[in-house]
Amino acid sequence: MPAHIVPAQAEIEALAGHRFAGGEYRIAHWENVLLTGCTGTELLPDGLAHPSSLFHLPIAGAGTSIAEMFALGKAESDLSIMIESYEWEFYQPLREEIDYRVEGAIHSSQRIQEVDREYDRIQFRFDIALTSGEPVARSLVTWHYTRNTL
Amino acid sequence: MSPAVGDPIPEWVMPEVSAERMRTMAALLRDPNPLHWDRDAVASLPLNLGRRTINQGPLGLGYMVNMLHAWAGAGSIRRMVTRFPQVVLDGEEVIARGRITNLHSAAGELLADCSIWLEHAERGILLEGEATVSLATDNQAT
Repeated sequence: MPAHIVPAQAEIEALAGHRFAGGEYRIAHWENVLLTGCTGTELLPDGLAHPSSLFHLPIAGAGTSIAEMFALGKAESDLSIMIESYEWEFYQPLREEIDYRVEGAIHSSQRIQEVDREYDRIQFRFDIALTSGEPVARSLVTWHYTRNTL
Repeated sequence: MSPAVGDPIPEWVMPEVSAERMRTMAALLRDPNPLHWDRDAVASLPLNLGRRTINQGPLGLGYMVNMLHAWAGAGSIRRMVTRFPQVVLDGEEVIARGRITNLHSAAGELLADCSIWLEHAERGILLEGEATVSLATDNQAT
């Protein structure tokens, strides 16, 4: 496997604080039906959206994409990203067909050196609110950008 | 419901993780990662996973959500942290399990802190984390 060029540590650390454009997102009914079905359960009552929507809702709503998040961290390839954790807080349940306002940023970005590998640990934070400003949820996505490992 | 610290949460079983559902999920998430839809891409990795696609994180996590909902009701989750020590593969049977670790009240709600995990019979724990779930208002709890 050819070695990939590892981005400079300072370049990775400089990502912290990067803000996405922000914007709005509405979980469509069809989208909630399909996503909920993928998890193997029935649609939730009363217009509730499946909580797993808290992954893609803020990414799209903040005006970014998985592809852009990979590119910002100089991922070697789509295959080189590993998930550390998803940390979700719900101040109220998510619902379909409601406009949500989303703000997003890179919360932290650091190079991790371990005995047998190095990787870049990047955390993305997204805050979701109603268009009135009332907080709805928060998502903290932590990914590892592996370097010459996968 | 009369919850107590140490109580197990009734398990939730996904009898077979579906490659087709991963494809649908990839489209919904606009997730370009071929790990979720290309078995050859997974087989090319030095992970000895064979020709099986890897479940998206929000899907495996979703099985634990379904367990919590079946137990405490839709809309009950207040906080959920999930870590991913192992991947979930297509064709696998996985079981979401959990246990109450603490009970407390906030703003009139009875909240249960729980340890949660997703396990496979041979490979052990695939996902693990913690959740805080609203069980009832204080005056409904017994």
